[in-house]
Amino acid sequence: MTQPATAAQQEAPTSAAESAGTQESSRRLGLRWDVRSLSLLGVLAVLVAVGGITAPDEFLATSNLQLVLTQASVIGVVTVGMTFVITSGGIDLSVGAIVALASVWATTVATQEFGFAGILFTAVIVGVGCGLVNGLLIAYGRMVPFIATLAMLASARGLALQITDGSTQIVSVESVLDLGARDAYILGIPPLVLIFAAVTVIGWLLLNRTTFGRRTVAVGGNAEAARLAGIDVRRQRLYLYLLSGLCCGIAAFMLIVLAGSGQNTNGNLYELDAIAAAIIGGTLLSGGRGTVIGSVLGVLIFTTITNIFALNNLETAVQQIAKGAIIVAAVLVQRRSLHGDA
Amino acid sequence: MARIPSTSRRALLFGTAAVSTGALLTACTSNEPKNKAQAADNAAPVADDKPGKQVTIGFAGPQADHGWLNAINDNAKSRAEEYSDVTLEITEGANDTAAQIGQIETLINKKVDVLVVLPADGKALTQVGLKAMRAGIPVVNLDRIFNSPQAYRCWIGGDNYGMGLNAGTYIGEQLKDKKNAKVVELAGLDNLELTQQRTKGFDDALKNYPNIKKVARQAADFTVESGQAKMAQLLQAQSKFDALWNHDDDQGVGALRAIDQAGRDDFLMVGGAGAKSAMDAIKAGNSVLKATVLYPPTMAASAIDLARALGQGKGVGGLAEFEIPTSLTLYSAVVTKDNVDQYLPTGFI
Amino acid sequence: MAPQPPLLTMSGITKSFPGVRALDGVDLEVQAGEVHCLLGQNGAGKSTLIKVLAGAHQPDSGEITWRDEPVTLGSPIAAMRLGIATIYQELDLIEGLSVAENVFLGHEPTSAGFVVRGSAARTATAELLKRLGHPEIDPTRLVGDLSAAQQQIVSMARALSHEVRLIVMDEPSAALDPEEVDNLFRIVGDLTADGVAVIYISHRLEEIRRIGDRVTVLKEGRSVAGGLPAKSTPTHEVVALMTGRNVEYVFPERPEAGFAAGREPVLTVEGLTRRGEFAPVDLELRPGEIVGLAGLVGSGRSEILETIYGARKPDGGRVLVDGTPLRPGSVRAAVRAGIGLAPEERKAQGLLMLESVSSNVSVSTLSRFARAGWLDRRAERAAAHQAVRELSLRPDNPDAAIRTLSGGNQQKAVLARWLLRGCKVLLLDEPTRGVDIGARAELYAVIRRLADEGLAVLLVSSEVPEVLGLADRVLVLREGSVVHTADARELDEHRVLDLVMEGSLTP
Repeated sequence: MTQPATAAQQEAPTSAAESAGTQESSRRLGLRWDVRSLSLLGVLAVLVAVGGITAPDEFLATSNLQLVLTQASVIGVVTVGMTFVITSGGIDLSVGAIVALASVWATTVATQEFGFAGILFTAVIVGVGCGLVNGLLIAYGRMVPFIATLAMLASARGLALQITDGSTQIVSVESVLDLGARDAYILGIPPLVLIFAAVTVIGWLLLNRTTFGRRTVAVGGNAEAARLAGIDVRRQRLYLYLLSGLCCGIAAFMLIVLAGSGQNTNGNLYELDAIAAAIIGGTLLSGGRGTVIGSVLGVLIFTTITNIFALNNLETAVQQIAKGAIIVAAVLVQRRSLHGDA
Repeated sequence: MARIPSTSRRALLFGTAAVSTGALLTACTSNEPKNKAQAADNAAPVADDKPGKQVTIGFAGPQADHGWLNAINDNAKSRAEEYSDVTLEITEGANDTAAQIGQIETLINKKVDVLVVLPADGKALTQVGLKAMRAGIPVVNLDRIFNSPQAYRCWIGGDNYGMGLNAGTYIGEQLKDKKNAKVVELAGLDNLELTQQRTKGFDDALKNYPNIKKVARQAADFTVESGQAKMAQLLQAQSKFDALWNHDDDQGVGALRAIDQAGRDDFLMVGGAGAKSAMDAIKAGNSVLKATVLYPPTMAASAIDLARALGQGKGVGGLAEFEIPTSLTLYSAVVTKDNVDQYLPTGFI
Repeated sequence: MAPQPPLLTMSGITKSFPGVRALDGVDLEVQAGEVHCLLGQNGAGKSTLIKVLAGAHQPDSGEITWRDEPVTLGSPIAAMRLGIATIYQELDLIEGLSVAENVFLGHEPTSAGFVVRGSAARTATAELLKRLGHPEIDPTRLVGDLSAAQQQIVSMARALSHEVRLIVMDEPSAALDPEEVDNLFRIVGDLTADGVAVIYISHRLEEIRRIGDRVTVLKEGRSVAGGLPAKSTPTHEVVALMTGRNVEYVFPERPEAGFAAGREPVLTVEGLTRRGEFAPVDLELRPGEIVGLAGLVGSGRSEILETIYGARKPDGGRVLVDGTPLRPGSVRAAVRAGIGLAPEERKAQGLLMLESVSSNVSVSTLSRFARAGWLDRRAERAAAHQAVRELSLRPDNPDAAIRTLSGGNQQKAVLARWLLRGCKVLLLDEPTRGVDIGARAELYAVIRRLADEGLAVLLVSSEVPEVLGLADRVLVLREGSVVHTADARELDEHRVLDLVMEGSLTP
C-alpha cells in the first residue's frame, strides 16, 4: 500500500506480469515490438534465407536490395496512411483510385508545364482533396467509411479515365525523371526509398508520440469513451482520412517518378494490398491497435516474395497463391498471439 | 479531352429519339443530309468512296481504359465520319459482360442496319451475337472472336499467334550469328488467352534458331506500373541477355523506364501492339527499343468499311468475290527504323 | 446547511429520447465538501442525469448553476474545464492504451502542443495511483490486461488527473471487494476533506449510511426528495420514496400454494455458475409453475436465464430437462429439449423486425412446414394464425408487419413462436418491458394460462411487483447469489427491496 511510486518507473513491474516483461520494457521505449512484429521479422528472415539459397548471386546483391526497397516504397507510403485509418476503426477503399487520379492529374500536359513543383503540388493537393471529401462524408455526413470510400473509389477511377481517355501520359519533365535515375541515389539509397523512410519515421512518431496518435487509438478502441474523455471524435476522423489522402498524393508522385508516366490504371488494387499489409503487420481491423512498423514489415514481406519469385522465374499464378497463403498464416499467428497475451 | 462523355451524351439523345419513333431516327440523326443519293449504283458490286445507301452502324466496344482500346474507338469514329452515308451509333464502352449485352440489345431494338462488336469477352457475348443475326442484323465481330460462326457474318481481327511468331523471327534473325544467345519475355496479363497465344507463337519461332534460348518470362498486366515493376525484377534476375520481347507497348513505357533506371543497354528490345510512343522511340533510335510488332487498331476502321459494304449489299474491292469474306486475319507487321514513317500515323497514344 | 452558496444547483432538468422521457424535472443541490448520494430504481434517470452533468447529454430544459453562475455544459470538455469529473459505471477505458495513456487521454502533457511527454504522464500517473493506494499498478501496462477492480482505480485516477471540484461516481463499489471498498471510502474522505464534492450513486444503503451526507431520491425521471440526511432517514422511508407507485396492476388468479409440489420437475438446475456473473444456483421448475427471479440490474438474473438457455457457457453445474442433462452452452440442445426464451431486448434479440407476424412465429418451427427445403407457406401461415389466435394477438392477421404491432402484441408473437414449437419450459426476460399498462394485464393472463396448460415458466423482471404478482415462488438475487427463496405470497415489495439492497431481512 505504501510502496514508493517510483518503482513503477524505474524497476521491473512487480505484479504478475513477468511474462509480459519484455513487452513492457519495450513499451517504455515506445517501441511496440510484440510477438507479432517479432514473428514478422522471423518470416522476413526466412524469406531472405530462401532468396539467398535459390538465387544467391542476384538476391543478395546491393542492387537487389535497392530494387526491393524501391518497389516497396510506393505501396509502403499508402500503407502507412491506411494504418492510421484502420487503427481508428475505419477503412479506406479509395487509396488505389486516389493514387490513379492524383498521378494522371499531375501528368496532364497543362500540369507538366509547371515542371517539378507543379507535378508534386498537384499530386499532393489532389490526394488531400480526395481525403478531405472522404473525411467530410464520414465524419460529418455520418456515412459508413466502407461506403463513402467505395463511392470515392468509383468516382476517382472514373475521373482518372476521363482525364486520360485511356491513354498513357508520358512525363517529359527531366527533373522528375532524374529523381528515379541511378545518379540521384544518395549514399546508394534511391530517393524514393528515402521518402518512404521519412514517411515511416514521421508516421511512427505521429502514432506513438503525439496526441494525434493517442486520439487515433482511442477513437478506434472505444469511440464513445473517447468522446466522453473530451476528444472531438468527428474532427479526428476527418484528419485521419485527410492523412490517408495525403499519403496517396505522395505515393502518386513517387509512382510518377518510378514509371515516368501517369495512367488511369495506376494503383490497381492498392487498397487490398495496403489493408493486407497492415493486417498482417498486427493492426487490428476492428481498430484500437495499430503499428506502423508492423505495416512496413508487411509491405516488405510481400515485396520480397514477389522479388524471390521473379528472380526464380516462377509464374504469376504461383505468386498469387503464395501471397494468399501468407495472409492466412500471418492472421492465424496473430490470432494465436492475441489469445496468448489476453 | 472529354471525347467519351460527349459521344455518350450524343448517343443518349439519339436513344431518346429512337424510342419515340424508329422511322424518325434516320432523319434526325443523319449527320450530313446533303447527299441523299439513293442506291442508284446497285449494279456496282464493290463498295467505294462514293456515297451509297444510308447505313446505320451500331458499334459496341469495351471501356477504353487502355491506349489500344481507345485507338479502336477513335479509328471507328473517324472512319465513319469520312462517309456521308454512314451513321454511327456508338455505345458507352463496358468492361462488364452483362452491361455490354444490354447495350447491344438496345442497338438491336433500335434496328440498326449492321452491328460492329468488340466484345469484352467473346465467349460470353456469343448469344447476343446470335440474337442479332437472327433478327436479320449482320454482325461484324471485331478481334475477340465469338464462340460460334453463326454469331457473326464476318470476323476481322489481329493475329496474336502471328505477333509472337513475327517477334520471335525478327529477334532470331538479329541474333542468328550469336552463340548461346539469351532471350527474355515480358508477357501481358496471363489470365487472357491472347497472352498464351502470343507466347506460343514466340516460342515456335525461336525453335527455328537452336542457338537462342529463352531464359526468363514474367507476366505484367498491360499497365505502365506493372511493366516497370516486372521489368525491374527481370533485369535483376538476368544480369546478361541479348534480346527482350515485350507483349505490349503500354506496359513497355514502364519497362523502358525500368531499363533506363537500371542503366542497361546491352540488349535489343522488341515491343508489341504499335503505340506512338514506341514508334517515336524506334525512329529516334536512341534506346534499346528497335522494333515493335503491330496489332493494328486500324482494324476498327476496316470493320466500319466491312459493315458499310454489308449494309449496302456490296463486296470489297481488290477481290473477285461478290461477297465479303467471313474471316479476315490481319498481318502483324514488324515496324523497324526502316519502315517506321509509314506506320507512324497509325500509332496510338 | 452551510452558509456558503451551493457548489452546484440543477433545477427543473428534463431530457427526452425518442419515445422515452428519461428526466422529467430533476432538482439537485450539492455543497462543496459533501458526499451527496443519488438513489433510485433502475430506469429512474440516474445515468441520464450524470451524463447531463458530464456534458455528454444536453438537457431539453432546466438550469444549471455552478458556484453561483449559470452555466451550460455543452460538451465533455466544458464540464471538465469547470472541474466536474465522472467515473462511469460501465468502464470507459480504452483497452489498447496503457494506464498512463488512459489517465491523460484528451489532456496529455505535451511539448509544442502535440508531442506527448510520455514520461511526465507516467510520473504523474504513478503519483495518482499512489494516492489511490494502488502503487503496484504499472502506468505502462495495457489497461486491457488489468482486472476489473484495477480498471476502476484507473478510472478514478483519470478523474483525479483533472483539477476537480466535483466527482461523480456511478456505483464505484460494484466491482470492488470489501477491502477495496474501504480504500475507496478513505479516498472519498480525503477528497471531501479537501473541499471536493462527491456525488455517489449506489444501491447499497449501508454504504450510503457510512459515507453519505445527504440523499436525493429519483423516481421515474423526477426528484421525489432532495437533501435528506443520509445517516438518519429510516430505510423504509427511503424505500417508500423509491417505490411509491400510482399504478395498479391486475394479476390473474393464482392456484393454491404448493399445488405443483407433487409433480416431477421438468427443469432442474444444479449448481449452475459463471465466474464473475453468478454463484452456483439450484432451482427446480415444475409443470404449471411460474417462478420469478427478482434482483437489480447486474445481480445476474438475465445471465442465469441465458445460461440455462445455452447462450452462455457455464463454468460449472448443469441443466436437466425431464431428468436428462443438456449439453452445456448449446442453444440447439436447449431448444430441442423444449426450452424457449423470450429475450430482454425483444427487438434486437427476439424479432425479425422487417418480417410479418407469421414468419416471426414460425421461425423456430420452419422444418415442420418444409419438404425438401421447399416451404409450404399456406401450412406455415395457418399454423402461425392458430398460435397467435390462442394468445388473442391483435390484429388477428398473420400477414401484418411485426413492427406495426404494439409492444404487448409483439411479445405475444414471441410467445406464440414457442407455443407453436410446443415447448415445456418458457424463460421470460422482462416480458413487459415497453408494454403499456393496459396491455400488461392481458399479457399476465396469457402467461398464467400457458402455465395452467402445463408449461413451466421462469420469469425475470426488474419490476418487483410484477414478480410478486405473477409468480408462485420467488428467488431473490443479490450480486449473483440467491439470498432468499419464498412463496410469492409471503413477500412484499419493501421486503424484496430490502433484500436486494441490504442482503438481510431488516425488521
